[in-house]
Amino acid sequence: MESKKTSSKIGVYICECGPNIADNIDIDTIIARLPSLEEYQNKELVVKRYKLLCSNEGKEFLENEIRENEFTHLVVAACSPRDHDTTFINVCKKTQLNPYLYKMVNIREQCAWIIPDKEKATEKAIRYIRAATSRVLKQSELIEKQLDIDPGVLVIGGGISGIETALSLAGKERKVYLVEKSSELGGKMNMFKELLPRQNGNRDIIEKKIEEVKKNESITIFLETELESAVGFLGNFEISLKNIKNNQPGAEFTVGAIVAATGFRLTDTGKLAQYKYSKESEVYTSLEIENMIKRDGKIVLKSGKEPESVGLIHCVGREEKGYCSQICCNYMLKFISFLQQQSDSIKIKDFYRDMCLPHKEDQGFFEEVKNKGADFIRISDVKIKGTHVEYTPIGKDKKEVDVDMVILAPAMEPEKGTEELAELFNVPLSETNFFQEEHQQLNPVETSIEGIFIVGACHGPAGISESMLQAQAASGKISTRLIPGKKIVPEVKVSEIMEDFCMGCRTCMDICSYGAITFDGELSVCVVNEAICRGCGNCAGSCPSGAIRAKHFTSAQIYQEIIEAIR
Amino acid sequence: MSKEFMPKIISFLCKWCTYSGADLAGTNRMKYPPSILPLRVMCSSRVNPVFLIKSFLHGADGVLIGGCHPGDCHYQSGNYYTRRRFAILTTIFDSLGLESERLKLSWISAAEGTKFVRVSTEFNEKIKSMGENPAKKKIFL
Repeated sequence: MESKKTSSKIGVYICECGPNIADNIDIDTIIARLPSLEEYQNKELVVKRYKLLCSNEGKEFLENEIRENEFTHLVVAACSPRDHDTTFINVCKKTQLNPYLYKMVNIREQCAWIIPDKEKATEKAIRYIRAATSRVLKQSELIEKQLDIDPGVLVIGGGISGIETALSLAGKERKVYLVEKSSELGGKMNMFKELLPRQNGNRDIIEKKIEEVKKNESITIFLETELESAVGFLGNFEISLKNIKNNQPGAEFTVGAIVAATGFRLTDTGKLAQYKYSKESEVYTSLEIENMIKRDGKIVLKSGKEPESVGLIHCVGREEKGYCSQICCNYMLKFISFLQQQSDSIKIKDFYRDMCLPHKEDQGFFEEVKNKGADFIRISDVKIKGTHVEYTPIGKDKKEVDVDMVILAPAMEPEKGTEELAELFNVPLSETNFFQEEHQQLNPVETSIEGIFIVGACHGPAGISESMLQAQAASGKISTRLIPGKKIVPEVKVSEIMEDFCMGCRTCMDICSYGAITFDGELSVCVVNEAICRGCGNCAGSCPSGAIRAKHFTSAQIYQEIIEAIR
Repeated sequence: MSKEFMPKIISFLCKWCTYSGADLAGTNRMKYPPSILPLRVMCSSRVNPVFLIKSFLHGADGVLIGGCHPGDCHYQSGNYYTRRRFAILTTIFDSLGLESERLKLSWISAAEGTKFVRVSTEFNEKIKSMGENPAKKKIFL
């Protein structure tokens, strides 16, 4: 198939990039030398320079050159492909030349700018262009496919994160399916009466949002329901639900993206020896206190009496978990403030290890509470026997105190079922057992599977404002990726397994981070799902029988580049 | 040879981290030896150990692989595989009597232009002190 193309005609265009390249590389020498090289003796080669190829005039010039010369292959020696690869791919797309028969050479960042000696810089540029030119001759056409998408979104979890995601995305052309395992929407927020930072009674935030969700015609709510299966890829996931109550199969539909908003639970304090207490004792977790405030409007003992002294213990389970739960210090301050309003004479002992006050309002709130007389004690160790607290202030001897009530701030951990869901999606969990984001800084709300997003506390400890932020961020990503009526173009530089060479060892299957490879039992070979493959080439690097071609990064192409670079 | 020996060092650079780090070195107008010949790959895990053998036997004086830092791979865990393959390959090199010191693996992020310059300069010096790759004269492919 390659042999037909003996009449290849290669265009090599060198960009001056103003003075950036022209001053440090002798472009005329390149133009003179290239055609005389042995490998081009029976090939047609056009080598030209241009002042600024990425300019509008430059692009037009290049487009005309490709057409008029009827190039079969193109090399552009200019800046970094990070800057303008896409620019020249788009130029190719306007012509007869398949963009995968073009290659960019970085003679600016990796030649002109790093080598002070012009002669040496020119030598390296020639070497580099030769490598690219030989490589481009080994490249093959790749045809981009356009796939129809379903703009709909499945949201799992009816807490604040899920609700916000659903509301941000639902619209005339985008359906949202909101799945909640319990019998009502609202999640953990149903337990709260008053919200941070200043316990202003703005519970109506959630109530209003729940009303909006119920009223929205584009949102379908499934209560007491869980996900049974999700198969597919960005733009096309086949979803089946399951009714939890009767364990019967539920609705089936297609969506383009999935958002997990499954939230958190508090770690079981019963498993921590130093915080063991009986049900009868006056020890409460933070969520129990939230519930109490909502139910009774005040914080009271089992007898109904208000406590005169309260000990609050932060970081319950932090050491065991290995992470800070971020929101506890804040809600403990909220409880203290609440208790101070409830009784002027309340005695507060707050046992903390580190005070985590990340938001701009937090420090002021802390000082306000402290100035009202709460006793903040930084400790290295603490233990309770009922409401008898033994503690060691930092650098001091062990002390003990009896209080009427103890409030614990247990670490947040992912909600029950997170692991099963991760397995179902084939997305990884982090070491902390929360969902792992694709990249902590660069892609914090998406998972390694394109089209599956994570928002709120299933992603890591998060308060309401962080959860809202993440929900809105994921919604933004989804609405720009899945535009109703528009098709998507999946990556074409993907891996392909050649049936004849595959020995079915499944090494590639085990190492693929995306679950893009499956095993065909009948043929006893591995198969790549091109819609899921991201084209990293790890499988091609691992295949012991050389059966995997990483398209556009094939061994033949890379060998050619190596050989020319060191010729 | 009267001319100073300039090694040829094939450098497989991952598109996301090290290639960008090398770009940054250029943008900041830092200097490093022209002997570094960069080849861009999507992920360092694409670098089949055979590529290194191929480079070596075709006369590369050194081969450098640059990838994202552990835990920072754009593709989740590609660089861990690179690290394992690299470890095995150097063992094979040693057992065949080839100079595994001519192979280098380094983690260089997109922000580490300075590190790219340092690693490539030091590696270049080392290869220079080792002289030309003797394998290219011995083995024919």
